[in-house]
Order: sequence, then C-alpha cells, then structure tokens
Amino acid sequence: MLRHMLMARGVDEEAGLLENQGALDLWLSCRGQEAAQVGSAMALGDAVIFPSYREHAVAIVRGIDAISLTAQWAGRTFCGWDPRPHRFFPYTLVLAVQALHAVGYAVGKQLQDSAETVVVYVGDGATSEGDMSEALNLAAVESARVLFLCQNNGWAISKPSHEQMLTSIAQRANGFGIESWSISADDPEVTYLACLEARSHVETSSSPALVELRTTRIGGHTTTDPHTTYREPDELAAAMANDPVDKYCRALVDSGTVDDEWLAAVNADVADARQGLLKAFAS
Amino acid sequence: MIDAKPGSLAESLNGTLHDLMDSDESIVIVGQDVGRLGGVFRVTKGLLETFGPARVRDAILAESSIVGQAIGMSLSGLTPICEIQFEGFVYPAMNQIITQAAKMTTRWNGDIALNLVIRVPVGGGIRAVEHHSESNEAYFAHTPGLHVAYPSCPTDAAAMLKHSTKLGSPVIFFEPKRLYWKRRQQPRDPAEPVSPVSARIVRRGSDVTVVGFGAILEDVLAAAERVASTIDVEVVDLRWIAPLDVDTILESVGRTGRLLVVHEAVAFGGIGAEVVATVAEHGSHHLKAPMRRLGAPRRIYPPADYEKHYLVGIPDIVGAIEEMCA
Repeated sequence: MLRHMLMARGVDEEAGLLENQGALDLWLSCRGQEAAQVGSAMALGDAVIFPSYREHAVAIVRGIDAISLTAQWAGRTFCGWDPRPHRFFPYTLVLAVQALHAVGYAVGKQLQDSAETVVVYVGDGATSEGDMSEALNLAAVESARVLFLCQNNGWAISKPSHEQMLTSIAQRANGFGIESWSISADDPEVTYLACLEARSHVETSSSPALVELRTTRIGGHTTTDPHTTYREPDELAAAMANDPVDKYCRALVDSGTVDDEWLAAVNADVADARQGLLKAFAS
Repeated sequence: MIDAKPGSLAESLNGTLHDLMDSDESIVIVGQDVGRLGGVFRVTKGLLETFGPARVRDAILAESSIVGQAIGMSLSGLTPICEIQFEGFVYPAMNQIITQAAKMTTRWNGDIALNLVIRVPVGGGIRAVEHHSESNEAYFAHTPGLHVAYPSCPTDAAAMLKHSTKLGSPVIFFEPKRLYWKRRQQPRDPAEPVSPVSARIVRRGSDVTVVGFGAILEDVLAAAERVASTIDVEVVDLRWIAPLDVDTILESVGRTGRLLVVHEAVAFGGIGAEVVATVAEHGSHHLKAPMRRLGAPRRIYPPADYEKHYLVGIPDIVGAIEEMCA
C-alpha cells in the first residue's frame, strides 16, 4: 500500500508542477487522500469501479500508468485509459451522476445472471446532489450489490462539510435502509479493513453498503483554486501535519516493515514515472 | 381515403415491443407504471405478463433514476427502453440525458455501444393539463450525441423503434400522443425511405415542399388535399429530426422551388429554423419564393380551452401554401 501511496503522491506532485508550467490545463490533487484511496481500492478485488474525478491513487492501484491518468488533464482525451481491462471506468465530472450508473450496472449484471459487486466513489460535495439520494434509494429498493465509497475531505471547494449537512453521510445512508460505516481514513490499513468488511457485507447480503471515508484535503479543489484564501491557517496546518503518506511511511520504517533499500527502489520507480510525465507533457 | 392498415400508434408500438423483447433477450423496459398498469397510454400493455417483472420494470417516481440506471444497464450489456410518462416530466432526467447518455460513447473513446432508447409521449391537442401537451424536441435535437426520432404513423414508428434498439447510440423516441389511438390516416405515397434513418416523401408534388413530422403531418397532408385542385404539394416527413436528412429536403426543394416547414413546437429556435437555415445555406438558388415556417408562438402552452387557437391548424397551413404559390 505504501508503494501505491508514494507513487500517487509523486504523480500528483509532478502533475501539479506541470499544470503550473502550463503543460496541463488543470489538475485535481488527491494530496492527503492517498490512504483513503489506496486502502479502499486494495479491498475491492477486481470489482468494477465508477469513479468521480479525483481517484488518482485508486487508478494507480488498478494499474493505470501516470501518463494515461494525466492525458485528459492535458486536453488529449476524455479518458486516457482503457476502462474495461482495468475495471476502472472513466472519470465523471458531473457530480453523483455515476452513482445511478453504478446501480443500473449492478442491476443489469444481476439480470444477466452474472451478479457482481460494483463500487462507486463520490465526494462529500456530491452527496448534496439529488442523484446521490436517488441512487441510495434505488440501490436499497433493488437490493443492488453496490458499495458506495464517499471520501469526505471536509470541503466542497470552499463550502465546509458542516455547512453542507446536519447529519453524517453514513447516517443518511441508514435513512435509506443502507448499512454504513464512518471511519477515519487517514490510515490505509484501517481503511482497508473497514472496506473489506463493507464489501463482504455487500456480497453476503446482496444489498448495498456505504463507507464514509473521513479524510484530509491538503491541496485546493483544483490547481486553480486559491484555497488558502478561504481556509484558516490553523486548519490547513493541521491537515498538512496529518499527511497520511508521511505518517504511514514513518510507521512502516519505525516498525521495520520497510527499509531504506526498499524505499530507495520505490522512490526510483516514482522518479521514473515523474520523468515519463515530463517527457510526455512538457516537451 | 383511409389507410388499409387499421392499427393505431399505441397498438403498433405495443406489438413492436413484444416482438423486440421476444427476439432480443437484452431488452428491458424501465418506466413508471409500465408493468402492472401497462403504461399510462397502455403502450407496454401485456409485456409484464409475457416477459415478467425482471424485464418489465416498474420504476420508482424519479426520472433521473430511470435514465441514470438505464445508462448503467446499457454499460452492463443490456438494451434498456425507458418510458418517460410525458414530455413535460423529462426535465429531471435532462442532466443524465445531456451530460451523460449523449457523451458516454465519446468519453469511452468510441469503444462502447450505448444501446438506450428513451420513449417520450409528446405534443398537445388532447385537452391535457399543464406540462402534458408540449413539444420540446428542439432541446434534444440541439445536443450532439443524441438521435431524435419523431414518427408520424404506426408503421414508421415500428420500424424506427426497431432500428433505435440497435443503433449503439442513445435515442430520444418521441411518440405523438394525438396519434396513440387514432385509426384514420391520410393516404400516403407508399415509397420506402432510402435508409432507416432518412426522411420520406409521403406525397409527391411539384409546386411546393412542405416539411413536417409527428402528429401535425396528418394536418399537412389534409391541407395538401384541400388545395390539390390548384396547387400540387409535395410533403416530406422528416421522421428523424436529428441527425437531419438534409439531402431529401434539398432534393425536394430543388424540384419544387418553394419550402414551408410546419411543426407543433414553438417556431422560435425550433426545427423549422434549422431546416430553413439549411436550405438557405445550400439550396437558395432553387428558390422561387421566400421560405416560411409555421409553428406555435413563443408563449406558454395554454389551458386546454385555448389550445386550438394556439396550435397550427389546417387552415393556417392552407393559407401559407396559397400565399407562397400565389
């Protein structure tokens, strides 16, 4: 998991730099959400994923290379990877619409006698959209095998979560008759275990589930979002101090799970990927 | 004269849906009240009994859910045929139709076939309440990535519905409510359309081309009959309003030198404007007279007591033809 998190961090940093130079048109940073993304993705097996647009670390877990992942932000395509073999469908930039697609996909597979678990990623902002409520309700009444993974990073661009909703997203899912969990997702192992349990619930009960992954936003909404103008310095400093990649790396080094040699090899791979991005987009 | 074929539009569509579901297991029906009730217009009558609740799916009352789940079903390998109960209720599904269904194939770099039909009863003249009588086809025709079907008779509707399920691209399939139970039909030239998606010349003539589609085509044919002793009217049924069969229109105008477009929808920004603009760009050298459009005024569709005055009627069409050919 640390390997994927370090790769995601490296790709995210390089893409941000490339956007700053004008080589990318836009980049949506996942900085701070790597533990939530990698931990959840590792728990999904080969389930089809309907992502939102910030699940770069999930894409990396699914074997999508940095150039393919970045191509759409350089204006070359609307989807730089082949969705079917990676079982990672195209990014969806209109909020929450893909939640209904995921439910329909699960129902469709069930009707074709090839039931499978379908996963949809949304953010906290997307839960305000009507389609999210419609999808939760539809999944519940259809007993659709859909695992809803909601990354709550505390912000819908500049609107903090506490101004978006009075109950938690997990509580809201319960209101639709959906089993849910709400976890602090800054540790990939905790996240992995919770998502594994949720996926198991979906598969054994043949009904939907939702996991609210409470995570950390370190960057802006996009590279064009001057988030320091609306975030309090203390809140931002706390987010940066809570960096899940740093924390997990330190923990694995301290426990002796990884050593300098391993880290050097991973860092070399990350450097290669960054170099590849430079060649592909900055020339 | 009455057409020999006795079926109404609703019966024709119902029979076609039975045939399609019988021959293609991937087809599922999704819509409000399509199962137990057989649809508010009974177009899906009997399907539940024959094909069961797994394939004939009474949807919850949420249009975005109907279309959104159908997109997912299509991605999973099925061919959903959705029913939206009335054209005035399609708007909650517009986001799914326009930002998702229409763009999905392009977003997938052309690697998928998105078989998806969205049936929409359309139009007025049936003394319906607010939101139940409108003609909103222009919104969809304007959107790249959508095919828009608008049949004017039962036999065409059957062929077009069959074609729609195999296009690999989402189709908005408009069904003129006024024709659902109508059995009489103006006589038509029996010539087949050049292709499944082309327009059709339903009456041959030499003095003026009148282009129409949907329920109002019956009024156009009646008007043509009324002036037949002095003016030889050619009538083109567009059948598909997007993509538009420009060739058939230009070929007809090339012979007649005059063009009138008639539709039930508001004229402003409507399909008529597109047809006239296309002929202005590509066929103005053929014209013997200024082109004209007939459509509804840009006013809210009125309560039923006033709809006769609001809609284009046969006398309006006759008047326009006579003025153009004077």
